[in-house]
Amino acid sequence: MLYNKIMAIYPSLTFEDFITFITLQNDSDGKGDYIAKWEHPTLAKPTTEQLA
Amino acid sequence: MSSVVISGDTSGAITLAAPSVAGTNTITLPASTGTAMVNGPAFSYYSNSGTSVSGGTYTKILFQTQEYDTANAVSSSRFTPLVAGYYQISCAISLSGNSSAGYGIANIYKNGTLYRQGSSYASSANSPNAAISALVYCNGSTDYIEIYAICTNSITTGTGIAATFFSGVLVRGA
Repeated sequence: MLYNKIMAIYPSLTFEDFITFITLQNDSDGKGDYIAKWEHPTLAKPTTEQLA
Repeated sequence: MSSVVISGDTSGAITLAAPSVAGTNTITLPASTGTAMVNGPAFSYYSNSGTSVSGGTYTKILFQTQEYDTANAVSSSRFTPLVAGYYQISCAISLSGNSSAGYGIANIYKNGTLYRQGSSYASSANSPNAAISALVYCNGSTDYIEIYAICTNSITTGTGIAATFFSGVLVRGA
């Protein structure tokens, strides 16, 4: 699960961060979870390699 | 005269008909330009199969069963009205399964992005619902509305017409 992978990379993230700065999205179309928005003020968007 | 027929420039016609009852009635048109609405679109769908929602992830909720859809404007849980105007959109999402004191939020998405967010709800084991209602303008051609949920924990949403539903109605023309 993408959320768990990101939390493993950045354990300091909170649920509120995923409401405010980061948007993980799933369009229920079989394509799975993806990062729709990453605007966290201090943490960089994880790379594809980090999420692999 | 019981009716007035206005023919279109190329085809079709509009008939203004008086009722077949005694009495005089008056309709006063406003001193403005607009489109008069007659039975605007209204729809109601609900889930009969739960949607899997990953924790921390905005997930589109699926509403498989139609209660009514007067304009056949909903397809694949997406409302795309062909009449421009302001729509009152409402939904509730059962958070059954989210029993570890997490949070759940119902969201209205317009054209694939977050448009209105409901208040967060601390869930318990009592299968509460997250809900939202908002007025949304749609252009009558390309604008579309969907419902997404986000929860602290991974869940499968509850089902049934009273628990997880998506409805809307045109309340004012463009």
